[in-house]
Amino acid sequence: MPHLPSFPHVSKSEFGGACGNLAARYAGQGGLQTDWTSVDVVQHDGDSYLKIEKDLHLEDHDTTGGRLDVEVDEDELREDDQEALIPPPFLKATIEFDIMLSPIYQVPVLYFSIRDPRCRHPPTMATLYHNIIHPQLKAQAENVGVIGGISITDHPATNSPVFFIHPCQTAAVLEASVGAKDITPIEYLMLFIGAIGSYVGLIVPLRIVQDNVRA
Amino acid sequence: MSGSRDVASRLRQTVWNGSVPLEIRLHKGDCRTYDDSDPYLIQFPRLSYLGLLLHKLHGFFASSLIYPDVSPADAWLSYEGVPLKWHYPLGLLYDLYSGVEPAYPADGSGKKDRDVEEEQKNMPWKLTVHFSDYPVEHLVKLDSEGNHLHDLYMHSVKEADYLRTGTGRTVMFLSKEDSNQLWDSVKQHSFTLYNPINQKLLNPQGVNLRHLPVKLYLPHAASDTPDKESTPGSLRVVQSLVTPSLSSRQPQTIGTALNHIIPSLFQSRRSALLAQAVLHGAVLPLSASVEDLLRATAYLDGWLHIAIVMMA
Repeated sequence: MPHLPSFPHVSKSEFGGACGNLAARYAGQGGLQTDWTSVDVVQHDGDSYLKIEKDLHLEDHDTTGGRLDVEVDEDELREDDQEALIPPPFLKATIEFDIMLSPIYQVPVLYFSIRDPRCRHPPTMATLYHNIIHPQLKAQAENVGVIGGISITDHPATNSPVFFIHPCQTAAVLEASVGAKDITPIEYLMLFIGAIGSYVGLIVPLRIVQDNVRA
Repeated sequence: MSGSRDVASRLRQTVWNGSVPLEIRLHKGDCRTYDDSDPYLIQFPRLSYLGLLLHKLHGFFASSLIYPDVSPADAWLSYEGVPLKWHYPLGLLYDLYSGVEPAYPADGSGKKDRDVEEEQKNMPWKLTVHFSDYPVEHLVKLDSEGNHLHDLYMHSVKEADYLRTGTGRTVMFLSKEDSNQLWDSVKQHSFTLYNPINQKLLNPQGVNLRHLPVKLYLPHAASDTPDKESTPGSLRVVQSLVTPSLSSRQPQTIGTALNHIIPSLFQSRRSALLAQAVLHGAVLPLSASVEDLLRATAYLDGWLHIAIVMMA
Protein backbone atom coordinates (compact mmCIF):
# COMPACT_ATOMS: atom_id res chain seq x y z
CA MET A 1 0.00 0.00 0.00
CA PRO A 2 1.41 3.41 -0.91
CA HIS A 3 1.89 5.91 1.90
CA LEU A 4 1.32 9.63 1.89
CA PRO A 5 4.52 11.58 1.30
CA SER A 6 2.91 14.98 1.89
CA PHE A 7 0.82 14.11 4.97
CA PRO A 8 -1.17 15.90 6.46
CA HIS A 9 -1.85 17.05 2.90
CA VAL A 10 -3.08 14.75 0.20
CA SER A 11 -2.62 14.87 -3.57
CA LYS A 12 -5.37 14.73 -6.15
CA SER A 13 -4.51 11.19 -7.20
CA GLU A 14 -4.14 9.89 -3.63
CA PHE A 15 -7.49 11.42 -2.72
CA GLY A 16 -9.18 10.12 -5.88
CA GLY A 17 -7.80 6.66 -5.18
CA ALA A 18 -9.05 6.71 -1.59
CA CYS A 19 -12.55 7.78 -2.71
CA GLY A 20 -12.68 4.93 -5.22
CA ASN A 21 -11.45 2.53 -2.57
CA LEU A 22 -14.09 3.53 -0.02
CA ALA A 23 -16.87 3.40 -2.63
CA ALA A 24 -15.74 -0.09 -3.66
CA ARG A 25 -15.66 -1.18 -0.05
CA TYR A 26 -19.20 0.13 0.40
CA ALA A 27 -20.30 -1.74 -2.71
CA GLY A 28 -18.96 -4.92 -1.12
CA GLN A 29 -19.87 -4.46 2.54
CA GLY A 30 -22.57 -1.79 2.46
CA GLY A 31 -25.39 -4.31 2.62
CA LEU A 32 -24.21 -5.36 6.07
CA GLN A 33 -25.01 -2.00 7.66
CA THR A 34 -27.89 0.46 7.55
CA ASP A 35 -26.34 3.80 8.41
CA TRP A 36 -25.06 4.81 4.99
CA THR A 37 -27.53 4.44 2.13
CA SER A 38 -25.16 5.16 -0.75
CA VAL A 39 -21.53 5.95 -1.47
CA ASP A 40 -20.52 7.22 -4.90
CA VAL A 41 -17.54 8.76 -6.59
CA VAL A 42 -18.66 11.86 -8.51
CA GLN A 43 -16.62 13.37 -11.34
CA HIS A 44 -16.48 17.13 -11.65
CA ASP A 45 -14.14 19.18 -13.84
CA GLY A 46 -11.58 16.39 -13.94
CA ASP A 47 -11.60 15.91 -10.15
CA SER A 48 -13.37 13.20 -8.20
CA TYR A 49 -15.18 13.60 -4.94
CA LEU A 50 -17.03 11.26 -2.63
CA LYS A 51 -20.77 11.50 -2.01
CA ILE A 52 -22.17 9.65 1.00
CA GLU A 53 -25.87 9.62 1.81
CA LYS A 54 -27.72 8.60 4.91
CA ASP A 55 -31.20 9.04 6.28
CA LEU A 56 -31.79 12.02 8.49
CA HIS A 57 -33.02 10.93 11.89
CA LEU A 58 -34.80 13.97 13.23
CA GLU A 59 -35.73 12.38 16.54
CA ASP A 60 -32.08 11.79 17.45
CA HIS A 61 -31.60 15.15 19.07
CA ASP A 62 -34.49 14.82 21.49
CA THR A 63 -32.52 12.30 23.48
CA THR A 64 -29.80 13.44 25.80
CA GLY A 65 -27.59 10.37 25.51
CA GLY A 66 -24.32 10.40 23.62
CA ARG A 67 -25.58 9.49 20.19
CA LEU A 68 -22.13 9.33 18.71
CA ASP A 69 -21.01 6.64 21.12
CA VAL A 70 -23.97 4.35 20.60
CA GLU A 71 -24.23 4.76 16.84
CA VAL A 72 -22.64 1.43 16.01
CA ASP A 73 -24.74 -0.48 18.51
CA GLU A 74 -27.90 1.05 17.14
CA ASP A 75 -26.95 -0.06 13.69
CA GLU A 76 -26.33 -3.58 14.79
CA LEU A 77 -29.68 -3.66 16.51
CA ARG A 78 -31.40 -2.42 13.39
CA GLU A 79 -29.56 -4.91 11.22
CA ASP A 80 -31.10 -7.77 13.17
CA ASP A 81 -34.54 -6.25 13.38
CA GLN A 82 -36.38 -7.23 10.24
CA GLU A 83 -39.48 -5.37 11.33
CA ALA A 84 -37.80 -2.08 12.19
CA LEU A 85 -40.08 0.79 11.35
CA ILE A 86 -38.96 2.40 8.12
CA PRO A 87 -40.65 5.69 7.16
CA PRO A 88 -42.20 5.73 3.69
CA PRO A 89 -39.51 6.74 1.22
CA PHE A 90 -41.43 9.72 -0.16
CA LEU A 91 -41.36 11.48 3.21
CA LYS A 92 -37.86 10.55 4.18
CA ALA A 93 -35.29 13.31 4.45
CA THR A 94 -31.71 12.37 3.65
CA ILE A 95 -28.46 14.06 4.44
CA GLU A 96 -25.80 14.21 1.75
CA PHE A 97 -22.13 14.49 2.60
CA ASP A 98 -19.70 15.51 -0.11
CA ILE A 99 -16.03 15.06 0.68
CA MET A 100 -14.03 17.15 -1.77
CA LEU A 101 -10.35 17.90 -2.03
CA SER A 102 -9.66 21.60 -1.48
CA PRO A 103 -7.27 22.82 -4.18
CA ILE A 104 -6.25 25.53 -1.73
CA TYR A 105 -5.65 23.71 1.54
CA GLN A 106 -4.86 20.33 -0.08
CA VAL A 107 -6.92 18.53 2.51
CA PRO A 108 -10.43 17.11 2.16
CA VAL A 109 -13.34 19.40 2.98
CA LEU A 110 -16.71 18.16 4.20
CA TYR A 111 -19.78 19.78 2.61
CA PHE A 112 -23.23 18.61 3.58
CA SER A 113 -26.87 19.40 2.98
CA ILE A 114 -30.29 17.98 3.65
CA ARG A 115 -32.44 16.70 0.85
CA ASP A 116 -36.04 16.72 1.83
CA PRO A 117 -39.05 16.21 -0.43
CA ARG A 118 -41.01 18.56 1.83
CA CYS A 119 -38.25 21.23 1.94
CA ARG A 120 -38.42 21.55 5.73
CA HIS A 121 -34.68 22.05 6.15
CA PRO A 122 -33.21 24.97 4.17
CA PRO A 123 -29.47 25.56 4.58
CA THR A 124 -29.65 27.90 7.55
CA MET A 125 -27.92 27.93 10.91
CA ALA A 126 -31.23 27.06 12.58
CA THR A 127 -31.43 23.84 10.57
CA LEU A 128 -27.82 23.11 11.40
CA TYR A 129 -28.23 23.36 15.14
CA HIS A 130 -31.71 21.83 15.31
CA ASN A 131 -31.30 18.90 12.97
CA ILE A 132 -27.65 18.10 12.45
CA ILE A 133 -25.33 19.07 15.26
CA HIS A 134 -25.64 17.05 18.41
CA PRO A 135 -26.51 19.40 21.31
CA GLN A 136 -23.45 18.25 23.25
CA LEU A 137 -21.17 19.39 20.44
CA LYS A 138 -22.94 22.69 19.81
CA ALA A 139 -20.73 24.83 22.01
CA GLN A 140 -17.59 23.34 20.53
CA ALA A 141 -18.79 23.90 16.97
CA GLU A 142 -19.87 27.47 17.69
CA ASN A 143 -16.62 28.40 19.32
CA VAL A 144 -14.52 29.12 16.20
CA GLY A 145 -14.58 31.74 13.44
CA VAL A 146 -17.23 34.39 12.99
CA ILE A 147 -20.27 32.14 13.31
CA GLY A 148 -18.64 28.88 14.32
CA GLY A 149 -16.53 26.15 12.78
CA ILE A 150 -19.42 25.22 10.51
CA SER A 151 -21.05 27.70 8.23
CA ILE A 152 -22.70 27.98 4.86
CA THR A 153 -21.02 28.49 1.53
CA ASP A 154 -21.52 27.71 -2.13
CA HIS A 155 -20.74 24.10 -3.05
CA PRO A 156 -17.68 24.09 -5.33
CA ALA A 157 -19.38 21.89 -7.93
CA THR A 158 -23.03 22.99 -7.85
CA ASN A 159 -22.48 26.58 -6.64
CA SER A 160 -25.57 26.18 -4.40
CA PRO A 161 -25.51 26.93 -0.65
CA VAL A 162 -24.51 24.02 1.58
CA PHE A 163 -23.05 23.61 5.06
CA PHE A 164 -19.33 23.07 5.35
CA ILE A 165 -16.73 22.60 8.03
CA HIS A 166 -14.01 25.23 7.83
CA PRO A 167 -10.92 23.49 6.46
CA CYS A 168 -8.22 25.78 7.77
CA GLN A 169 -7.57 23.63 10.89
CA THR A 170 -7.99 20.24 9.21
CA ALA A 171 -4.30 19.63 8.51
CA ALA A 172 -3.41 20.34 12.15
CA VAL A 173 -6.20 18.09 13.44
CA LEU A 174 -5.14 15.21 11.18
CA GLU A 175 -1.53 15.59 12.15
CA ALA A 176 -2.38 15.57 15.85
CA SER A 177 -4.52 12.45 15.56
CA VAL A 178 -2.02 10.33 13.68
CA GLY A 179 1.35 11.25 15.12
CA ALA A 180 4.34 9.82 13.32
CA LYS A 181 2.62 6.73 11.94
CA ASP A 182 2.57 6.10 8.19
CA ILE A 183 -0.91 5.79 6.77
CA THR A 184 -2.38 4.81 3.42
CA PRO A 185 -4.80 6.99 1.39
CA ILE A 186 -7.86 4.99 2.49
CA GLU A 187 -6.76 5.20 6.12
CA TYR A 188 -6.29 8.93 5.61
CA LEU A 189 -9.82 9.28 4.27
CA MET A 190 -11.30 7.31 7.16
CA LEU A 191 -9.20 9.30 9.61
CA PHE A 192 -10.59 12.48 8.07
CA ILE A 193 -14.16 11.24 8.39
CA GLY A 194 -13.49 10.21 11.98
CA ALA A 195 -11.88 13.51 12.94
CA ILE A 196 -14.17 15.91 11.08
CA GLY A 197 -17.35 14.02 10.15
CA SER A 198 -18.29 12.91 13.67
CA TYR A 199 -19.34 16.47 14.54
CA VAL A 200 -22.18 16.17 12.07
CA GLY A 201 -23.07 12.51 12.42
CA LEU A 202 -20.88 11.10 9.65
CA ILE A 203 -19.17 8.01 11.01
CA VAL A 204 -17.61 5.17 9.04
CA PRO A 205 -19.80 2.11 9.74
CA LEU A 206 -17.96 -0.65 11.55
CA ARG A 207 -18.53 -3.09 8.70
CA ILE A 208 -16.64 -0.81 6.36
CA VAL A 209 -13.83 -0.11 8.82
CA GLN A 210 -13.43 -3.82 9.49
CA ASP A 211 -12.65 -4.50 5.87
CA ASN A 212 -9.60 -2.39 6.51
CA VAL A 213 -8.49 -4.60 9.37
CA ARG A 214 -8.63 -7.71 7.24
CA ALA A 215 -6.93 -6.12 4.22
CA MET B 1 10.73 51.97 -11.04
CA SER B 2 9.01 54.86 -9.30
CA GLY B 3 7.10 55.37 -12.54
CA SER B 4 5.63 51.89 -12.44
CA ARG B 5 4.86 52.29 -8.74
CA ASP B 6 2.92 55.45 -9.61
CA VAL B 7 0.98 53.57 -12.24
CA ALA B 8 0.21 50.81 -9.75
CA SER B 9 -0.95 53.19 -7.04
CA ARG B 10 -3.06 55.17 -9.52
CA LEU B 11 -4.58 51.94 -10.73
CA ARG B 12 -5.27 50.91 -7.11
CA GLN B 13 -7.06 54.23 -6.55
CA THR B 14 -9.07 53.98 -9.77
CA VAL B 15 -10.17 50.47 -8.91
CA TRP B 16 -11.01 51.49 -5.33
CA ASN B 17 -13.17 54.37 -6.60
CA GLY B 18 -14.92 52.36 -9.30
CA SER B 19 -18.68 52.28 -8.81
CA VAL B 20 -21.94 51.42 -10.51
CA PRO B 21 -25.17 53.44 -10.23
CA LEU B 22 -28.01 51.19 -9.07
CA GLU B 23 -31.76 51.60 -9.33
CA ILE B 24 -33.38 49.09 -7.01
CA ARG B 25 -37.14 48.56 -7.21
CA LEU B 26 -39.35 46.55 -4.93
CA HIS B 27 -40.72 43.37 -6.50
CA LYS B 28 -44.41 43.81 -7.22
CA GLY B 29 -45.26 40.68 -5.25
CA ASP B 30 -43.99 42.34 -2.08
CA CYS B 31 -45.37 45.80 -2.75
CA ARG B 32 -48.63 47.08 -1.26
CA THR B 33 -49.19 49.28 -4.29
CA TYR B 34 -48.18 46.70 -6.92
CA ASP B 35 -45.47 48.48 -8.94
CA ASP B 36 -45.90 51.97 -7.67
CA SER B 37 -43.10 52.34 -5.11
CA ASP B 38 -40.18 54.72 -5.49
CA PRO B 39 -36.88 53.18 -6.53
CA TYR B 40 -33.87 53.15 -4.20
CA LEU B 41 -31.01 54.88 -5.98
CA ILE B 42 -27.38 54.53 -4.98
CA GLN B 43 -23.92 54.85 -6.49
CA PHE B 44 -22.31 51.70 -5.08
CA PRO B 45 -18.61 50.71 -5.07
CA ARG B 46 -17.70 47.89 -7.45
CA LEU B 47 -15.45 46.33 -4.79
CA SER B 48 -18.16 46.24 -2.12
CA TYR B 49 -20.89 43.76 -1.25
CA LEU B 50 -24.58 44.34 -1.86
CA GLY B 51 -25.27 42.44 1.36
CA LEU B 52 -24.13 45.55 3.24
CA LEU B 53 -27.27 47.31 1.92
CA LEU B 54 -29.65 44.97 3.74
CA HIS B 55 -30.79 47.41 6.42
CA LYS B 56 -30.93 50.41 4.11
CA LEU B 57 -33.12 48.52 1.65
CA HIS B 58 -35.39 47.24 4.40
CA GLY B 59 -35.70 50.71 5.91
CA PHE B 60 -36.38 52.36 2.57
CA PHE B 61 -39.06 49.91 1.44
CA ALA B 62 -40.61 49.17 4.86
CA SER B 63 -43.60 51.44 4.28
CA SER B 64 -44.34 49.85 0.90
CA LEU B 65 -44.18 46.24 2.04
CA ILE B 66 -47.27 44.04 2.15
CA TYR B 67 -45.82 42.44 5.28
CA PRO B 68 -43.88 45.27 6.94
CA ASP B 69 -42.66 43.03 9.75
CA VAL B 70 -40.45 40.84 7.52
CA SER B 71 -36.83 40.68 8.63
CA PRO B 72 -34.13 42.57 6.70
CA ALA B 73 -32.54 39.12 6.28
CA ASP B 74 -35.45 38.04 4.06
CA ALA B 75 -34.30 40.49 1.40
CA TRP B 76 -32.63 39.30 -1.80
CA LEU B 77 -31.76 40.97 -5.07
CA SER B 78 -32.22 39.83 -8.63
CA TYR B 79 -31.41 41.06 -12.10
CA GLU B 80 -33.66 39.82 -14.91
CA GLY B 81 -34.67 36.80 -12.84
CA VAL B 82 -31.12 35.90 -11.75
CA PRO B 83 -30.68 35.89 -7.95
CA LEU B 84 -27.50 37.85 -7.11
CA LYS B 85 -25.11 36.22 -4.68
CA TRP B 86 -24.60 38.40 -1.63
CA HIS B 87 -20.96 37.50 -1.21
CA TYR B 88 -19.89 38.30 -4.77
CA PRO B 89 -18.63 41.87 -5.03
CA LEU B 90 -20.88 44.15 -7.07
CA GLY B 91 -18.22 44.57 -9.78
CA LEU B 92 -18.12 40.83 -10.41
CA LEU B 93 -21.93 40.58 -10.55
CA TYR B 94 -22.04 43.51 -12.97
CA ASP B 95 -19.32 42.07 -15.20
CA LEU B 96 -21.10 38.71 -15.23
CA TYR B 97 -24.72 39.70 -15.70
CA SER B 98 -25.25 43.30 -16.83
CA GLY B 99 -24.64 42.45 -20.47
CA VAL B 100 -22.72 45.70 -20.87
CA GLU B 101 -19.72 45.40 -23.20
CA PRO B 102 -16.49 45.59 -21.22
CA ALA B 103 -13.98 48.34 -21.96
CA TYR B 104 -11.10 47.43 -24.30
CA PRO B 105 -7.53 48.63 -24.02
CA ALA B 106 -7.26 51.95 -25.85
CA ASP B 107 -5.89 50.81 -29.20
CA GLY B 108 -7.71 53.26 -31.43
CA SER B 109 -10.12 50.65 -32.79
CA GLY B 110 -12.83 53.33 -32.88
CA LYS B 111 -15.14 51.27 -30.67
CA LYS B 112 -15.02 53.69 -27.81
CA ASP B 113 -17.83 56.13 -28.70
CA ARG B 114 -20.35 53.37 -29.23
CA ASP B 115 -19.38 51.70 -25.97
CA VAL B 116 -19.92 54.83 -23.93
CA GLU B 117 -23.33 55.33 -25.52
CA GLU B 118 -24.20 51.69 -24.94
CA GLU B 119 -23.11 51.91 -21.32
CA GLN B 120 -25.15 55.07 -20.67
CA LYS B 121 -28.22 53.37 -22.08
CA ASN B 122 -27.86 50.60 -19.50
CA MET B 123 -27.30 52.95 -16.59
CA PRO B 124 -28.33 52.82 -13.85
CA TRP B 125 -28.21 49.05 -13.41
CA LYS B 126 -31.82 48.12 -12.62
CA LEU B 127 -32.17 45.54 -9.88
CA THR B 128 -35.18 44.12 -8.06
CA VAL B 129 -35.37 43.60 -4.33
CA HIS B 130 -37.60 40.84 -2.96
CA PHE B 131 -38.73 40.20 0.60
CA SER B 132 -40.40 36.82 0.05
CA ASP B 133 -39.72 33.48 -1.67
CA TYR B 134 -36.04 33.49 -0.69
CA PRO B 135 -34.18 31.32 -3.23
CA VAL B 136 -32.52 29.09 -0.63
CA GLU B 137 -31.30 26.77 -3.39
CA HIS B 138 -29.23 29.56 -4.91
CA LEU B 139 -28.31 32.12 -2.29
CA VAL B 140 -26.77 31.86 1.14
CA LYS B 141 -29.28 33.46 3.50
CA LEU B 142 -27.89 36.39 5.43
CA ASP B 143 -28.73 37.44 8.99
CA SER B 144 -29.68 40.90 10.25
CA GLU B 145 -26.43 41.18 12.19
CA GLY B 146 -24.25 40.71 9.10
CA ASN B 147 -22.47 37.70 10.58
CA HIS B 148 -22.88 35.45 7.56
CA LEU B 149 -21.49 38.05 5.22
CA HIS B 150 -18.57 38.61 7.58
CA ASP B 151 -17.98 34.86 7.83
CA LEU B 152 -18.04 34.37 4.06
CA TYR B 153 -15.68 37.31 3.66
CA MET B 154 -13.20 36.05 6.27
CA HIS B 155 -13.25 32.57 4.79
CA SER B 156 -12.32 34.04 1.44
CA VAL B 157 -9.59 36.22 2.99
CA LYS B 158 -8.14 33.13 4.69
CA GLU B 159 -8.16 31.14 1.47
CA ALA B 160 -6.34 33.94 -0.33
CA ASP B 161 -3.77 34.12 2.44
CA TYR B 162 -3.24 30.37 2.42
CA LEU B 163 -2.59 30.51 -1.31
CA ARG B 164 -0.18 33.43 -1.04
CA THR B 165 1.84 32.11 1.89
CA GLY B 166 1.26 28.36 1.88
CA THR B 167 0.45 28.51 5.59
CA GLY B 168 -2.37 31.01 6.12
CA ARG B 169 -0.47 32.31 9.12
CA THR B 170 -0.60 35.97 8.15
CA VAL B 171 -4.37 36.05 8.59
CA MET B 172 -4.39 33.74 11.59
CA PHE B 173 -1.88 35.94 13.40
CA LEU B 174 -3.54 39.24 12.54
CA SER B 175 -4.37 40.92 15.84
CA LYS B 176 -8.01 41.14 16.83
CA GLU B 177 -7.82 44.90 16.16
CA ASP B 178 -6.36 44.41 12.67
CA SER B 179 -8.92 41.78 11.88
CA ASN B 180 -11.77 44.05 13.01
CA GLN B 181 -10.26 46.97 11.14
CA LEU B 182 -10.24 44.90 7.95
CA TRP B 183 -13.96 44.17 8.19
CA ASP B 184 -14.70 47.77 9.21
CA SER B 185 -12.79 48.96 6.15
CA VAL B 186 -15.05 46.79 4.00
CA LYS B 187 -18.23 48.00 5.69
CA GLN B 188 -17.20 51.65 5.42
CA HIS B 189 -15.37 51.27 2.10
CA SER B 190 -12.45 53.11 3.69
CA PHE B 191 -9.09 52.90 1.94
CA THR B 192 -7.38 54.47 4.97
CA LEU B 193 -8.51 51.56 7.12
CA TYR B 194 -8.04 48.93 4.44
CA ASN B 195 -4.62 49.68 3.04
CA PRO B 196 -2.39 49.06 6.09
CA ILE B 197 -3.93 45.61 6.67
CA ASN B 198 -3.84 44.77 2.99
CA GLN B 199 -0.15 45.66 2.85
CA LYS B 200 0.52 43.22 5.70
CA LEU B 201 -1.35 40.49 3.85
CA LEU B 202 0.30 41.17 0.49
CA ASN B 203 3.80 41.30 1.93
CA PRO B 204 4.05 38.45 4.41
CA GLN B 205 7.30 38.56 6.34
CA GLY B 206 10.03 36.23 5.17
CA VAL B 207 8.11 34.48 2.40
CA ASN B 208 7.74 34.97 -1.31
CA LEU B 209 4.23 34.66 -2.66
CA ARG B 210 3.65 30.99 -3.45
CA HIS B 211 0.40 31.12 -5.34
CA LEU B 212 -1.85 33.90 -6.58
CA PRO B 213 -5.53 33.83 -5.60
CA VAL B 214 -7.39 33.80 -8.92
CA LYS B 215 -10.94 32.60 -9.43
CA LEU B 216 -12.63 32.35 -12.81
CA TYR B 217 -16.39 32.60 -13.28
CA LEU B 218 -17.87 31.07 -16.40
CA PRO B 219 -21.53 31.64 -17.20
CA HIS B 220 -22.94 28.24 -18.15
CA ALA B 221 -23.69 29.43 -21.66
CA ALA B 222 -19.98 30.09 -22.03
CA SER B 223 -18.91 26.87 -20.40
CA ASP B 224 -17.44 24.09 -22.46
CA THR B 225 -19.21 21.47 -20.36
CA PRO B 226 -22.85 22.55 -20.19
CA ASP B 227 -24.63 21.38 -17.08
CA LYS B 228 -27.97 19.69 -17.56
CA GLU B 229 -29.44 21.20 -14.45
CA SER B 230 -28.25 24.73 -15.04
CA THR B 231 -30.58 27.50 -13.92
CA PRO B 232 -30.65 31.11 -15.14
CA GLY B 233 -27.43 32.84 -14.27
CA SER B 234 -25.75 29.72 -12.94
CA LEU B 235 -22.00 29.70 -13.09
CA ARG B 236 -19.09 27.37 -13.18
CA VAL B 237 -16.45 28.63 -10.76
CA VAL B 238 -12.95 27.47 -11.57
CA GLN B 239 -9.87 27.83 -9.46
CA SER B 240 -6.47 26.34 -9.89
CA LEU B 241 -3.05 26.89 -8.40
CA VAL B 242 -1.44 29.86 -10.16
CA THR B 243 2.23 30.49 -9.42
CA PRO B 244 3.69 34.02 -9.70
CA SER B 245 6.17 32.95 -12.34
CA LEU B 246 6.67 30.14 -14.81
CA SER B 247 10.44 30.23 -14.54
CA SER B 248 13.03 32.60 -13.13
CA ARG B 249 12.76 34.70 -16.26
CA GLN B 250 9.10 34.39 -17.15
CA PRO B 251 6.37 35.91 -15.01
CA GLN B 252 2.91 34.36 -15.02
CA THR B 253 0.67 36.42 -17.29
CA ILE B 254 -3.10 36.37 -17.61
CA GLY B 255 -2.55 34.64 -20.96
CA THR B 256 -0.35 31.86 -19.58
CA ALA B 257 -2.64 31.34 -16.57
CA LEU B 258 -5.83 31.12 -18.65
CA ASN B 259 -4.14 28.86 -21.17
CA HIS B 260 -3.20 26.57 -18.30
CA ILE B 261 -6.55 26.61 -16.47
CA ILE B 262 -9.05 26.55 -19.35
CA PRO B 263 -7.11 25.62 -22.47
CA SER B 264 -10.33 24.90 -24.38
CA LEU B 265 -11.26 28.61 -24.30
CA PHE B 266 -7.76 30.09 -24.28
CA GLN B 267 -5.74 28.09 -26.79
CA SER B 268 -3.39 30.99 -27.35
CA ARG B 269 -1.43 32.68 -24.58
CA ARG B 270 -1.17 35.88 -26.56
CA SER B 271 -4.46 36.56 -28.29
CA ALA B 272 -8.04 36.01 -27.22
CA LEU B 273 -9.91 34.01 -29.84
CA LEU B 274 -13.04 32.59 -28.18
CA ALA B 275 -13.41 34.30 -24.83
CA GLN B 276 -11.99 37.16 -22.85
CA ALA B 277 -11.21 37.79 -19.24
CA VAL B 278 -13.01 40.76 -17.67
CA LEU B 279 -12.04 42.43 -14.40
CA HIS B 280 -13.50 45.70 -13.06
CA GLY B 281 -15.37 46.26 -16.31
CA ALA B 282 -12.27 46.03 -18.49
CA VAL B 283 -10.93 43.30 -20.75
CA LEU B 284 -7.63 42.14 -19.29
CA PRO B 285 -4.64 42.28 -21.61
CA LEU B 286 -3.30 38.72 -21.85
CA SER B 287 0.23 40.05 -21.42
CA ALA B 288 -0.51 41.54 -17.97
CA SER B 289 1.45 40.03 -15.09
CA VAL B 290 -0.91 38.27 -12.68
CA GLU B 291 1.12 39.37 -9.64
CA ASP B 292 1.12 43.03 -10.72
CA LEU B 293 -2.64 42.82 -11.24
CA LEU B 294 -3.15 41.16 -7.88
CA ARG B 295 -1.21 43.86 -6.05
CA ALA B 296 -3.04 46.73 -7.71
CA THR B 297 -6.51 45.44 -8.54
CA ALA B 298 -7.52 42.58 -6.25
CA TYR B 299 -10.96 42.62 -4.66
CA LEU B 300 -11.27 43.29 -0.92
CA ASP B 301 -10.86 39.61 -0.03
CA GLY B 302 -7.50 39.49 -1.81
CA TRP B 303 -8.77 37.57 -4.84
CA LEU B 304 -8.82 38.39 -8.51
CA HIS B 305 -12.41 37.42 -9.37
CA ILE B 306 -12.37 37.29 -13.15
CA ALA B 307 -15.45 36.95 -15.34
CA ILE B 308 -14.95 34.91 -18.50
CA VAL B 309 -17.07 36.35 -21.28
CA MET B 310 -17.55 34.64 -24.64
CA MET B 311 -16.68 36.80 -27.64
CA ALA B 312 -19.56 37.64 -29.94
